[in-house]
Amino acid sequence: MSAASLHLSAPPLRYAPPIEAELAYLAGVLAGIPALAQVYPTRWLAIQLLEGDDMLLTEAERLGGPAVSAALEASLARLHPLYGDDLDVALVDQRYRFVHSLVGTALTRPATPPLTLSDRIDQVVTHRWLGIPIFLALMWVVFKLTTDVAGPFVDWIDTVLSGPVSSWIVSLLGAVGLGGGWLASLLVDGVIAGVGGVLVFVPVLLALYFALALLEDSGYMARAAFVMDRLMHALGLHGKSFLPMIVGFGCSVPAIYATRTLDSRRDRILTGLLVPFMSCSARLPVYMLIAAIFFPAYAGQVIFGLYLTGIVVAIAIGVLLRRTMFRNQPPAPFVLELPPYRLPTPRGVWRQMWERTSSFLRKAWTIILATSIVVWLLLAIPLDGAGRFAETPVEHSAFAAVSGAATPVFAPLGFASWQTSGALLTGFVAKEVVVGTLVQTYGVAEAATVEETAPTTVGEDLRGIVTSFGTATVDALKAIPGIVGITFSEAEEEEAPGGLAMAIQSGFTASSGEHGALAALAFLVFVLLYTPCMTAVAAARHEFGSRWMWVSIIGQFVVAWLAALLVFQGGRLLGL
Amino acid sequence: MLHQVLQAFETATGPVSLDELSRELGIERGALEGMIAFWVRKGRLQDSAGPGCGGSCGSCGAAPGGCAFQHAGPRTITLLERGTNAPESG
Repeated sequence: MSAASLHLSAPPLRYAPPIEAELAYLAGVLAGIPALAQVYPTRWLAIQLLEGDDMLLTEAERLGGPAVSAALEASLARLHPLYGDDLDVALVDQRYRFVHSLVGTALTRPATPPLTLSDRIDQVVTHRWLGIPIFLALMWVVFKLTTDVAGPFVDWIDTVLSGPVSSWIVSLLGAVGLGGGWLASLLVDGVIAGVGGVLVFVPVLLALYFALALLEDSGYMARAAFVMDRLMHALGLHGKSFLPMIVGFGCSVPAIYATRTLDSRRDRILTGLLVPFMSCSARLPVYMLIAAIFFPAYAGQVIFGLYLTGIVVAIAIGVLLRRTMFRNQPPAPFVLELPPYRLPTPRGVWRQMWERTSSFLRKAWTIILATSIVVWLLLAIPLDGAGRFAETPVEHSAFAAVSGAATPVFAPLGFASWQTSGALLTGFVAKEVVVGTLVQTYGVAEAATVEETAPTTVGEDLRGIVTSFGTATVDALKAIPGIVGITFSEAEEEEAPGGLAMAIQSGFTASSGEHGALAALAFLVFVLLYTPCMTAVAAARHEFGSRWMWVSIIGQFVVAWLAALLVFQGGRLLGL
Repeated sequence: MLHQVLQAFETATGPVSLDELSRELGIERGALEGMIAFWVRKGRLQDSAGPGCGGSCGSCGAAPGGCAFQHAGPRTITLLERGTNAPESG
């Protein structure tokens, strides 16, 4: 093995004369202490001590005794009138200047640095006028992906859960002598209807998380924040507020915690009040269910519109608050890192999809399951002596009575049934529960049909599951070109709505004076804008205190109520 | 040079990308990172590699690296007023 030796001449780095004088003095003192001089280069140690390296000072005092600190204090006292508390800044600055001039003499650079591929893409993606339309177009693609491509798999899981799985459980309980009792009702009407009603939307969430992972891993999400920051800044809002809002597309809870990146408490509170208006992924199953029933041909457009409404409401409320409660807060500019564009790896994308979907599944088996059981229990308890436990007509249940008490509040908004009021009440726990409760309360008729269908063998059921999965996959693949407006097949005839869809449709129609679609849209707007979930409330209390938590809950309810009123009553006035 | 970086933050009228700042100041990106790190240590800048999560949303346990939604936020660097304490991190 050969060793190369490299001799560097002493670098011509010289600090300002007063500093050099003190460095020479200190280096001399340190050189006189063998315990230090044998371990550290004395000039280097003198520089570190003048810069205020506490660890080295402790070490130097341990090895060199009080003479070190005495000499250092004397030097600092002489330099203080010249540099104040910024002596370390002067030292570091001089080193950067030296390196900069050295690089300048050693390197010849082109007058205009060549643009990288990332730079060229950014010229378009972060363009002053094109940036926001590109952001909106990408959002559009994301929501077409979640509705059109994931839709067939939603139908497939729904068919499997409400068909074979429900009948297997009923048959199994019948085989052990527990059929037809409250346990069967709990499992079918409580657990399968409540949790299963939410689990059918796993493909939608997988599609959303797939799209978010692609946008994040490619580096686009940072550009989206950059483009929106510019808009927010132009409106007088703190540009940085949009960063937590981007996180809010996934979940409101980390978005509330993400407000910690803002510098002033007032900015954090203001952003914390706006974040819940961004449509989190938990609301997506509600949009999918209602949009598929009332606007089957335009589900993607309706969901895209809801996401857009969330952003517009958040920005509008932000501007309003900035001009009233949060005045005199000049927005502070900041620097944002735009990482180079990367090709997302399948492994990275899958990891993010799995982490986020498993979070949802965990929630399904804890919060959603517990709420579904409570709702089932309240639906099973008869009031007014109507029927027995678990055999009472749902409209005479304790849940109907409790939910019915809240119905007058929602009457002007077009959805004045106890079922929708109950779903919105349980939706305070978690937004997915809205779907579970709607399925539980409206789905009684559909559950009844499970028992009425002709009996099938397990083999037939399994064959049916595999076949319908194949059909769903083909339908999903056919839907992909449709995202960009290309269709290869004739438009299929709309399927007749199932029992649950018909029940929900007639429920909204009856409570709105024959304006079912308008009431459904108002319901979606309300779901978009009222409190996201109990955990988000706890996060707001933790971050901003009880007072702001209540401002947030009441404010969101008022905004949601007014917006839903505007949609329903405004639509009626327009003759929709 | 170090003061130039702070001055650029003070006079910016909107969000600026790190590369843009490097070009404007004529400072190598690597050197600029070092200068920013210095001002972060001095408490004049706040560097956030990504928003943190308080860890109490009840679903974070599913993700080995913490909250599954926290990756979305890009890195930002903000000017702090003298004597301002950086907000506590998550």
